[in-house]
Amino acid sequence: MHLPSPAALLYILLVVSAVLIAIIAFRPAITHSREGKMLAFVAFLILPVICMSWGASEHIDRSKQTAFCLSCHIMESHGKSLYVDDPSYLAAAHFQNHRIPVEEACYTCHTDYALYGGVVAKLGGLRHIYIQYLGTPPRPENIKLYSPYNNRECLFCHLGARSFESNPIHLAILDSLKSNQMSCMTSGCHDTVHNVGNLNQVKFWSPAQ
Amino acid sequence: MNIEATGIRRSLRVSGILLALALVVELISLLWGKPLAFLLFAFIGGALFLAGILLYLYSLVSSRE
Repeated sequence: MHLPSPAALLYILLVVSAVLIAIIAFRPAITHSREGKMLAFVAFLILPVICMSWGASEHIDRSKQTAFCLSCHIMESHGKSLYVDDPSYLAAAHFQNHRIPVEEACYTCHTDYALYGGVVAKLGGLRHIYIQYLGTPPRPENIKLYSPYNNRECLFCHLGARSFESNPIHLAILDSLKSNQMSCMTSGCHDTVHNVGNLNQVKFWSPAQ
Repeated sequence: MNIEATGIRRSLRVSGILLALALVVELISLLWGKPLAFLLFAFIGGALFLAGILLYLYSLVSSRE
């Protein structure tokens, strides 16, 4: 049996709740009886709280999607950089080889793997919107992180991985990497990330599907 | 019908309109699916929701029936 998606269930709940609320609001005499009072309590308090909580959760889930990040015009070239046909492009190599979840590619690398990482990422998103609509957005090639990239985000996945530890250079500088004294993106290491300024000089990979 | 009952009905009606609007705003924001939709949901929908809930709770505590 084909079950409706959670989003479809939420839409149904929203419509049912709004209709129920409207009926009680325009026929308040219903609330004279005890059953009517209970119905009003469910319609005016329980259902809206469920709808808003579910909606917030749905919005937060959607904001993790790669398509959501790339829906802003300014991020188009960053999205394009994920398809560069060159393994030295860090973001492209991770995306094309599914080292990160493809559907949540931006969020996976650009969130803090700390207690409030998700919250910090959401506040960062609000800052993006502020700059986009009330500030002066930079050109795509001039977009910079608000703070230097923390190696913790790389080590969250790579630390302890055989492919990482089999490289003697990684082991030799591991303490410097852990303490952020040396960035993983130091010149000569993994210094080509999105490089959106050079996208007109590279080839692109086209996935089969 | 006394004045108090009329007042409760009015606050129930206004509360219902605010809550229904909050849910409609939420529905629109979910269907829109753009980054601005989250702001619409959080600030407009959230404000309507809070106002509706508070007015409903006020109508409950102000009722002496």
